[in-house]
Amino acid sequence: MPGCAAPSDGGAACDRATPVKRFDTVLQQGLGLASAIVLFAMMWVTAIDVAGRYLFNKPLPGGFELTELMLAALIYCGLPLVSARRDHIVIDTLESVMSSGLKRVLDIAAEVICAVTLGGVGYLLFRRAARVAEYGDTTAVLKLPLTPVVYLMASMITIAALIHLALIFVPPAPRPSKSSA
Amino acid sequence: MTESMVALAGMLVLSFLRVPIAFSMGLAGFLGLWWMRGVAPSMASVTTMVYETGFQYTLSVVPLFILMGNFVTRAGMSKELYRAAHTFVGHRRGGLAMSTVIACAGFGSICGSSIATAATMTQVAYPSMRSKGYSDELAVGSIAAGGTLGILIPPSTIMVLYGILTETNIGKLFAAGFLPGLLAVVLLCLAVQYICWRDPAAGPRDERAGWPERMSALRDVWAVGVLFAVVMGGIYGGVFTATEGAGVGATGGFMFALFRGALSWKTLLEVLVDSARTTGMLFIILVGALIFSNFVNYTTMPTDLRGFVTEHNLGPMTVMFAICAIYIILGTAMEELSVILLTVPILFPIVIGLGFDPVWFGIIVVVIMQIGLISPPVGMNMFVVKSLLPHVSTMAIFRGVTPFVIAEIILLAILLQFPKISLYLPSLLKL
Repeated sequence: MPGCAAPSDGGAACDRATPVKRFDTVLQQGLGLASAIVLFAMMWVTAIDVAGRYLFNKPLPGGFELTELMLAALIYCGLPLVSARRDHIVIDTLESVMSSGLKRVLDIAAEVICAVTLGGVGYLLFRRAARVAEYGDTTAVLKLPLTPVVYLMASMITIAALIHLALIFVPPAPRPSKSSA
Repeated sequence: MTESMVALAGMLVLSFLRVPIAFSMGLAGFLGLWWMRGVAPSMASVTTMVYETGFQYTLSVVPLFILMGNFVTRAGMSKELYRAAHTFVGHRRGGLAMSTVIACAGFGSICGSSIATAATMTQVAYPSMRSKGYSDELAVGSIAAGGTLGILIPPSTIMVLYGILTETNIGKLFAAGFLPGLLAVVLLCLAVQYICWRDPAAGPRDERAGWPERMSALRDVWAVGVLFAVVMGGIYGGVFTATEGAGVGATGGFMFALFRGALSWKTLLEVLVDSARTTGMLFIILVGALIFSNFVNYTTMPTDLRGFVTEHNLGPMTVMFAICAIYIILGTAMEELSVILLTVPILFPIVIGLGFDPVWFGIIVVVIMQIGLISPPVGMNMFVVKSLLPHVSTMAIFRGVTPFVIAEIILLAILLQFPKISLYLPSLLKL
């Protein structure tokens, strides 16, 4: 089930639903690897671009565009990962005064809201993608087609929406709140 | 004004009912704009935000600085930094706690996260302080407080987010954080002195190190200095932009970890995936905050609030103090990153309308956030230390951080009173 890759997420629930668990593992590892490669490449593109410009007076052609495409891919590949691990930042101030039943109801409501919101955004992005495809938009220098990236963004957002739907059926394991301050 | 108040209230209610803040902000912004302008423009605006935030070159600064921080954390320089600081101040009263603060500052100069700084230093500084008989309170207090320097001393993830959210130059923000960062080190060390003056047994002296030992300890940390000098020097000197500096810094951090033998294929993958995940998490909130702030700017709320301020003849400083008070109250009950992202879109236009400098306000926001990170009951840095040192009681941590919270409030007061401290270095830059 989504979230099973993290050891703190109840193992018992995972054993019951092997196909879902397998899908989750593939999703987390596949997307994790993909975003790792994109991020690593982004780092080198920026470094080579700067080094090329100042040391050899020759910037990397289209480095700017590559970074933009990679950033879009990176952010939206990360979204399903964050959703699957329930890592979205939630204000938990009132948690201590809530009964566990109420919390569960609110959590389900929150998953529905997230799923609907992301579903809507996914739909909007598919519409945008269709338009980009129709016009055949490309980047300015390297003439790289934008269409696949926009479709990737739209798909990832939709996958994240589905993950939130799936999470309705997975009771969350208690874990400390997260932040990146 | 009505639209924005309803949307704001709706957003807060959703957030407190456990909807992730990214979604409550995005949804409130979308529905608010729908109400004011109709569904089609609102949908178009959301599409544009989601789409264009993804493709914005300058935003690659976020993942790259996160990556740099994760590489240097993995490289494990904290031990060397701690030893270097220790050879200089270890023989003084409370010297090990001051070493902790100074080593945190050193670590903060190449890492933009206060949580990473506190977590790394806990592993090195706590055992050392305990073995010399330091009290738990002083040990955990100095680590939690020192960790907050991670976001004040550049690079800083929070400054980057603030810069993006308010379209303030990130290079200038980085320059502005430097002197307040040094001042914070001094004030935190004074807090250590105060604690040891009250209770000399809390932080006994260690042996004095000779100059040869000091020099050898400094040689072990030269790489930190070089990395800071290259990245920050490059950004300050206008050699490259903050975005490019982040790329250079991440590459430097990678080399750093590689040459220290801290990287295998497995750990490299871990660092990258971890950074990617943090990036995803931050960007989703960022997109939500941008959708909301786009809506707020469309309403009359910023003008109305400014009108309220002028109508009641409130001096700029009164407003500033009110804002700080709001932040500190919210900060005790809420996690700091959420506070900043929820409030900056609303407060920033007022602050700028009153004639305050956006860079200076950025520093004030960061320092308020620092205070929030170590003020009970909800402070991320205390949670980090607690999770690494489960045997230390929560009350001991609360008691331990208190003098440091006061030191940081004094820092805030000084920075409010003397904007020059923050703005002097940025004024020298041609960014």
